[in-house]
This record gives sequence, C-alpha cells and structure tokens, in this order.
Amino acid sequence: MIKKYAILLLFAITISLYFSCTDNDDEDYTDVSPVVVDLSTVPYEKLSDYHFFSGELKNQIPSIDVIPYEPISSLFTDYAHKKRFVWIPKGAKATYNGDHKILELPVGSAIIKTFYYDNVQPANTTKIIETRIMIRKAEGWIFADYVWNDDQTEAYMDLNSSVKNISWRDENNIVRNIEYRIPNEAQCIVCHKTKSYINNVYSQINIPIGIKPQNLNKDFNYGSETANQLTKWIQLGILENNFNLPTEENTTVNYNDISKTLDKRMRSYFDINCAHCHTENGHCDYRPMRFSFSETYNNLTNMGVCVDTQDMQDFAPDLSKIVTPRRVNQSMLYHRVNSVDETYRMPLHGRTIIHAEGVTLIENWINSLDDCR
Amino acid sequence: MKKIYFLIVIGFGFATLYAQDNCATALPITTAGTFTISTINGTELPQTLCNYTNASTTAAEWYAYTPTSNYTVTVSSDLTENICKDTRLRIYSGTCAALTCVVADDDSGTITCPSSSTSYLSRASFSAIAGTTYYIVWDNRYTSTGFNFQVSELPAGYNPCAAATIISAGTTTVSAINQTNINTACSSTTLSKWYNYTPTANATVTISSDLMTNICKDTNFSVYTGNCTSGLTCITSDDNSGVIACNSGNTNSNLSVKTFDVTAGVTYYIVWDNKWSATGFDFTLTEVPIIIPITYTTQTIGTINSAYNICVVDMNGDNKDDIVGINGTNMRIHYQGNTPGNFTVTDHTFSFSGSTSAALVPNWSMAAGDYNRDGYNDLVLGNGSGATIITSINNGSIYSAFVPGQYIFSQRTNFSDLNNDGNLDIFVCHDIAPSCYYLNNGSGVLTFYQSTVTAGSMSIATTTGNYATLFTDFDNDGDSDVFVSKCSGPPCELYRYDGNNTYTNISASAGINVTPIQTWSSAIADFDNDGDMDIIITASASLHKYFRNNLDTTNTAEEGFTNITAGSGWDTNTATNIDNIAYDFDNNGFVDVLGGGSKIMFNQGNSTFAPVGYTGISVGAVGDLNNDGFLDIQNGTTIRYAVPNGNNWIKFSLQGVQSNSNGIGARVEIYGSWGKQIRDIRSGEGFKYMSSLNAHFGIGTATSISQVIIRWPSGAVDVINNPGINQSLHVVEGSSPLGQEEFSTNKIVLYPNPASEQLTISNIELNTIKNVSIVSMLGKIIKNIKLTNNTISIANLSEGIYILAIETIDGKKYTERFVKKN
Repeated sequence: MIKKYAILLLFAITISLYFSCTDNDDEDYTDVSPVVVDLSTVPYEKLSDYHFFSGELKNQIPSIDVIPYEPISSLFTDYAHKKRFVWIPKGAKATYNGDHKILELPVGSAIIKTFYYDNVQPANTTKIIETRIMIRKAEGWIFADYVWNDDQTEAYMDLNSSVKNISWRDENNIVRNIEYRIPNEAQCIVCHKTKSYINNVYSQINIPIGIKPQNLNKDFNYGSETANQLTKWIQLGILENNFNLPTEENTTVNYNDISKTLDKRMRSYFDINCAHCHTENGHCDYRPMRFSFSETYNNLTNMGVCVDTQDMQDFAPDLSKIVTPRRVNQSMLYHRVNSVDETYRMPLHGRTIIHAEGVTLIENWINSLDDCR
Repeated sequence: MKKIYFLIVIGFGFATLYAQDNCATALPITTAGTFTISTINGTELPQTLCNYTNASTTAAEWYAYTPTSNYTVTVSSDLTENICKDTRLRIYSGTCAALTCVVADDDSGTITCPSSSTSYLSRASFSAIAGTTYYIVWDNRYTSTGFNFQVSELPAGYNPCAAATIISAGTTTVSAINQTNINTACSSTTLSKWYNYTPTANATVTISSDLMTNICKDTNFSVYTGNCTSGLTCITSDDNSGVIACNSGNTNSNLSVKTFDVTAGVTYYIVWDNKWSATGFDFTLTEVPIIIPITYTTQTIGTINSAYNICVVDMNGDNKDDIVGINGTNMRIHYQGNTPGNFTVTDHTFSFSGSTSAALVPNWSMAAGDYNRDGYNDLVLGNGSGATIITSINNGSIYSAFVPGQYIFSQRTNFSDLNNDGNLDIFVCHDIAPSCYYLNNGSGVLTFYQSTVTAGSMSIATTTGNYATLFTDFDNDGDSDVFVSKCSGPPCELYRYDGNNTYTNISASAGINVTPIQTWSSAIADFDNDGDMDIIITASASLHKYFRNNLDTTNTAEEGFTNITAGSGWDTNTATNIDNIAYDFDNNGFVDVLGGGSKIMFNQGNSTFAPVGYTGISVGAVGDLNNDGFLDIQNGTTIRYAVPNGNNWIKFSLQGVQSNSNGIGARVEIYGSWGKQIRDIRSGEGFKYMSSLNAHFGIGTATSISQVIIRWPSGAVDVINNPGINQSLHVVEGSSPLGQEEFSTNKIVLYPNPASEQLTISNIELNTIKNVSIVSMLGKIIKNIKLTNNTISIANLSEGIYILAIETIDGKKYTERFVKKN
C-alpha cells in the first residue's frame, strides 16, 4: 500500500517538476533577443544583419528588447515620416545627466531611425528610404546609414550620400516631388557632434541628439500598454531609476499643438531643428544664437531677437537683425528658414524644401514680440 | 441737486477724456502745437482706404484740424521724446460719413531707435485750406502705447529753404536768427537762418561757430540734403562741440562745430536755429578736397543671365578677359572684342560624359585653368554636393562636363600644380571634412584624393571647416605654398610645399594661427613691395588681422609673420565680408583690398590702408574687360569699368611650356624707380569668384620699367629688359632666357645657334635626359625626340624661333631658345 502511494507521489512530483521546468524553459526562450551588435564587426553591410526587426524588414516590427520611441517635437526632414528605436545590451542601463542633457547610453547601444513616406506615387504605397543608425563602440559613437532597395526587402550600408526622387501625396492631398538627399557621413557629423579645444588643438566627438529627458517625457503607445517613455525605460531595466521626471517647465511640447503657448512651441521647434548646431560647442557656436530649450527659457536674446546679424555678406541691409519684432521682412532668421538656396538656407543640412508649418510658426512668433529697446 | 450737478461734471470730464475715440467726437485742433495721446483705445476705425487697411488694427484716436489760413501742414510723431515708439497715421478730409483720403504714413520718421536701423515714427505733409476740416487719425496697428505728435504750419507760399542765402567756403556773418523755421527731425524751433551750399568737388567739410569772435555766444545748427518742397533729410547737426569756453564762471562752450563729407554737385542746407539764442554770430565753412584714387563707370549687360555669373577669364585664347556664366546644361560666354564695351555672346551646350546629365552649378565658387593643355581654359565648379569639371575639347568649341561624384561640400576651388609636375591639378575646399583634390597625370586622367583619407594623399587643409585656399609662394623657393582661411573656430593654416608631394603645416612657426578668427577668404599680396607675400586675414565677422611676411632669403633661418594690424587701418575697419580680394585698383603701384562695406581699402604705401567709399560696390569677378590696363569688376549684369586716371601700367599673359599651360604658380617681378613689385599667377582669389589669370601691375607716374623677371614653376627664368609701358605682354616660357654670360656652369648649351641642319646639345650627360621636345613660340609641341646621341636633326623645321625643352630623369627641366635658318 505505502509503496503505491510512494510511486504515485514520485510520479506526481516528477510530473509537476517536468511542467514547471518546461514553463521555465518557455520563459527563457521568449526572453532572448535576436539582436546582434558585434562591436568588432559593425557596421554591417545589410540592415537585416542586426536582426533589429522581426518578420518582414519593411514592417519595422521591433525585435525583443528593441524599444520604439518618439520625441515630443520632431526634426523637419522634408516631411518624411520617422520610426525610431533604441537597443541597449541586456543587463546594461542608460544613465540620466539632466533634463536637457542626452541620456548616456552604455557601450554597445544602438539608436535606429527609419525614414519613410506614405502615399508614394503612383500606387499610393509606403516607401522606406533609409535607416540611420548610431552605435556606441568603446572608442565612441559611429554612424551607419542603410539605403533601402526599391523592393523594400533589404537596406545596404552607404555613407557616401545619394539622391532619391520621391513623389508622394501629402496630408493636404497635394502631390509633391522632391530630390530627397541621403546624407554623407560628413553631414552626420555636422549635427551629431560636440567640439572642444585642448591647448588650441581642435577635437570633436560624435553624440546622439534626440534622446534627452526633456524630449522623451511623454506617453507612448507600446501596444500592450500606453506609458510614459522614461518610466517605461526604467521599467524595462534599460534606464537607471535615480531621477525625477522633468517638470512641465523642463519638458518640450509638440510644436504643432496649438493648445500650447506660442512661446513654448517656438522654443521646442528651435530646440529640435536648430540647437544641435546653434548651441555651445555645436557646429556653429561661433554665432551668438543659442537655441537649445534650456538656453531659451526667458531669453529672447539667445533666439536672436534684436541681435545684429554678424555675417551680412551681400544680403539686403533690411536683414541686419537676426529677428526684428513684428517684422519678418527684417529678420534674417525668417529669411533663411523660408529659403531653399543651398548657400544660406537654415538648417543647412537635412532639408531641401521649406517647412511651411515651421515658417508659419516662426512668423506668428515674430509678430508676437515686443519692440526692441 | 448737488449730486446731479456733480454727475454732470464728471460726465463732461468723461466725454473730454474719450473725446478722440471716434470721428464725431474728434478733438478739435485749430493751430500748430504739440499734442499728447495717452493711449490708443478709440473703437472707431476709418472705413475709407488711405494707403493702409484696418487689418490687425483695433483702435484709433481722432483729431479734427481746421486751419485758420492756408498752410503747408506737417503732422509728425517724429520727435526725440518718441524714440523707439511705433506709430501709424492717416489724414482725411470730407465728413465723418464720407471721408476722403488726403495722405498717410507709417515709418517715414527719421529718429531711429538705437537698437535697430529704422525709425517706426510717422510724418506726413499736405496743403491745408483755411476753414477746411482735416481728420487726423492715429491707429494701433503696431501698438497702443501713447506718444506725442506735432502739427506744424508753414504759411503757404513762404519757404525759408527756398530763400536760403548761397554760400561757399569761408566766413559768413549771420546778422540774426530771424527766418521762420521748417520743423524737421533735427530742429523744431520757431526761428532759423538758412544757407545753401553746393560743393564743386567731393570734400570733407567743417562748419564751425567755434571762433574767438563768438565767445560766450550760443549756437545750434543742422545740415540737410534734399529738396525744399519735396522733403529734407537731416544728415548731421551740432550744438555744443566747440571748445572756446565762455569765460564768465563756467568751462563749457556753447559754440558748434561739425565735420562731414560732401559730394560734388549736391546741395546742402546749413540751418542755424534759435534753440538757445537768436543773436547773430560768424561761422566758417572749410573744405578739404577728397581725392578719389579711381572712379568707375558702369555698364549693364542684359545678356548676362546665366544662373551663375562669377567668372572673368580668357576663354578663347586671345589673352583678353571674357565673362563666363554657368547653368546646369550650358555655359554662356561673353567674349571681349576689340571695341570696348562690345561683347560677342556664345552659348555652349555641355557635352556630358559618364553618368553625368547635368552640371552641379557653382553655387559656392568656380575656378579656371587649362589642365588638358589644349590652349583653352577649363573650369571647375564648386557645389554643395561636389565638383563638376568642364573640359574644353576640339579647340575650345566643345565643352564636356563631368561630375566625378564624390561628396564634397565645396567652398573655394582652385587650379594649382599641387605636386609641381607641370600638370595643373584641381583643388576643392571641403566645408565639413578634410579637403579634396583631383590629381592630373597629364594624359587626361584626374584622380580623386582626400587629404588624410585617401592612401598616398598630400596633406592640405586636413581638418574640417575649410573655406578658402590661396596658392602662392610664401618662402620664395619657386613653388606654391597654400594659405587656408577658416571660419568656424580653428585657426587659419599655412602649408609650405617642400617638394616630393609633401606639404608641411607651418602655421605655428609662421605665427598666423591666431584665434579667435573668422574668415572665409584672406587678401594676400606683397603689400609693402619688399618682394614677399603678406597676408591680411580679412574677417567675415569680428576683427581683421594684418600679417607682414618677414622672409629674408639671405639667411637660412625660417622667419615667420608679424602682426602689424595696430594702426594699419585694418584695426579700425569694422566692415566685414566673406569675399576679400587684393588688386591694384588705381594702378599706383600698391596693392589694395576690396572686401565689405561698399569701399576699397587703398594701400597708402606705408603698410597702412585708408578706405574710399563707392556706392554699391561689392566683390565680383575682376579682370580688364575693356583692355585699357585698369582692372574692372563684374557683378551680375553690371560691369564697373575703372576710368584711367593717368597712372601707367603693364600686364602679362603667361604661356607655360614645361610648366603648366597658364603659368599658374609663376612669379612675375617688375623693377623700376619704385623698386620691386611681384605677382604670382593664381587661379581662385577670394572666396567665390574666378578672376583674370593675367598679371596686372600699376606703376603710378613712373614712365619706364627697367626689367621684368618671370620665374616659372619649372625653374626656367625669363628676363625682359626695358619693356614698353601701358601694354600687354604675352610671355612664352623659355622665350627670353637670361643672357649667355649669366649662364651657370650647369647650363645646357646648344650650338650652332642659329642652325640649319643639326643642333648639338652640350654640357649635359645624355643618360640623364628623360625626354626632349621641340616647342613652337606659341607653346605647341612640334616634335618629341628620342635622343640616341647629342645631336638632333632640325632639317625639316621651317624657319623661325623655337624652344628646345629638356627634362631630366630627376625631374629638372631646361628650356633653350634656338633659331632655325635655312
């Protein structure tokens, strides 16, 4: 009698053990990310080599541990849509350095940004143009750019720059045609760098731009849930939990959101479109403008208001101020943003056509300012 | 009862306060005066259009002005107490129900806010008829902030300006200040005295009441230009700048003095007013004539219409400068003919090769040089995406355009023989990466290199932020070095060519690596005529820096440059520009600089520069476009021709044989009573434009040139003694070598010379000779010779003068002239 119970018990234990072990195996299996970022061999020749995406490459479905994100205000890039992702090696965490400073991602991290257009003519299809990637190696961040084939099955590494003719129907139902410029590595460096001088010797290091708490402090729909992006990153174990979320004052706004103040919308626009060059140690820090969000708080002078234009060249004397309140025709800033001339348009790189909505925002902002004193 | 009375009083007061809020209750004005608007908040806006609509306008203030006599009336907010305010004015006649626009104004004021360069104050004048009511309406289009405004009346028919006394230089006695005044931005007193002065020559004028005879008097004056009836502009004024102090207990002077420049033929009104006193006094007017070194006439050429018109250079091989315009698919050339001002226009459609279907337009710069040695200049176009090379083929009748395709954010482009192999190479500055060049192998192949990136590349402009390069010989060792202008923070760079594909960065030892510095191009020339190239780092923003070259070739030490900016005129020059070029614009024998500020900085000959303004002048492509020996400037459709001023000159066009075809990199020296002047032949001056490849010299009032020496990059030296002045000389390399007696022991000897059948080469080891060729005086290679012994046959040559060009295996080149006689 006891022997039978013992066998049953043994059997029961064995079975329960088996099932529980099996369950554990299943959890381990689904936790493993397929992403491969081998710092000794990156950048790879093909985008698929990284395994950042699962299923068909063009669907841009992020693999496990590849986290989608979106900044509150976005850089204007000829109306191309963007999908952004970040990948941080398992067990490592990003660290916080201040609301307006870039999150420090650990060595081995990758930041991914895919550029695409919807309603591309003639068939109103979606067409992906390029996927730009930054990878942090031990010696610093490197750039890689993957140009998609027409079949949309693969993207190939090319940092030499190229042009793609795109024709698409925009949100106002107008067909637009542009020569989309895929950048050369030298152009990546123009914006994605910070400069320094040590004993009169110039040096520069490559840096990411968008991933600052001021830009990430908003909700994102992850599918399974909607959550604040910073909170989610902490939850996922990829961001150190040693800071408070930025206050409302230290958080940018979506410049298209007309429910927000004109001042904050303008500052957010300037931050994401201009500050990477026009900030201390940025590409063009030898000009007086300082457009970063934290530098424009209560500081019209940093935005060029009533400030003399330094480099007049052959421009009309009317443009002798960077911004003249209520006079867009006497504002060099407006003149440059409202231009496509390659020799003086602003931003210099990253766009070839005018951002009509941005120009209107700037016009409204200039018209809201008080006279110079 | 009392209460009601009280209320009524308040009511009236209320009504008065708001009396200007609409047309019906407009505040009456019957005489000139000053009126105060505390704030603009009347709700009625005029519905009749009067220059301006009511867009963005919500309030106005109304005044009803009815003159008692016919007047010319001026309504103005252009008062000093309104500085920095913003007003807008409309004036109507008629009735409130049916207004008629009379005049309107927004920003005609003259009082500028210190922080901006315009005035937002208003003033308008109109003829007012006695008894007619005019509605003066100020609105809040820009701001509701209050301000003062003046209404002034001038009796119709009387104008003190028209009654001004005509004066010229000298002393004038003002009997008393007793004419009615015209209210202006400078003077709004009741009485004045008007004087009319029209200089006959440009001059610097001083007006002064600061005389001993005026001691203890009190004066104030203003100076106007313009027209008595259509409007006066106050250009200057003065109250108390005098120094003669009234000696009754204080040390102030109440006398006036002011110095300002005047232009010949322009009428100036000098108006003394009774701001302090109406008592009479004397004043002086002194003139110091302004000598303008050179004047210009302009010609508009409507057929200059390409997308980019930034190049003046000889394109058809006649050594006269032509004008080049570039589009994406073609080039338009205005060829200079024999009649000054007449150009022949020819359009060349590019023939494209490879995958090129359009040229990348030169929106940053372009340069010219004959890199394929067919006798016709080729071009390089600098575009923000990369370079395009335009090559002349078929004797300059066809131009082929090729885009090599490498990404270069181009800035300045140049042709220079970078490795001194006799073949012109192409250099392209890169704004955001190390600079690039295309090396010419002499057989039509251009190979791309990027400094520090391409294996085997030469190191020139090796970091980022390269705006302009200028290739010239700084150490006088016979090859071109290069100066790199940089704007974005790092200092400028100087590279010395040491032969053997090696450029050495000598910025620190030369002492030119100053920071902070922002320049897109520097003006480089021998400014002090001591035989070496100096550098003015001309700023695109902030301060200029003038460096003198201390080169001393009598020793082996390597001298650097000294900063001589202080006191040079460059320290006080606040005008900055991205493009700065050095040429002798007035042919007085000293090289001047054209940059920003609508002026030329004229070299005073003692390492100082003084500006002379020219309205509308700016940097363009420079060349002699009417073949009169004076340099002209082309900018868009306008050519500014320098008017010959009596100074003498000489100009050279060079033709290389062993050296590159244009003689780029050659040093031209002229000697005479002035000492020495030098030029290097350079392709790509300043930032954007391509200017003439000819060497221009002015010699001022000197009437002869004793000697010209041309030192070619190949090492050949041509010497011309006593050339004629005021002419263009074309010099072929080797056509005028040093005299026989100046040969060194290593000189190659040809004999007999003249010869008819055979020529013997002597004084050289045959096995050191790599190749020999016979070249015509026009630079065409007639025959390449394979030497078996030291004689060559010239039996088949026709009679004439030829050049024998010899190249040795260690790269040395020799040219000797010989004569073939039958």
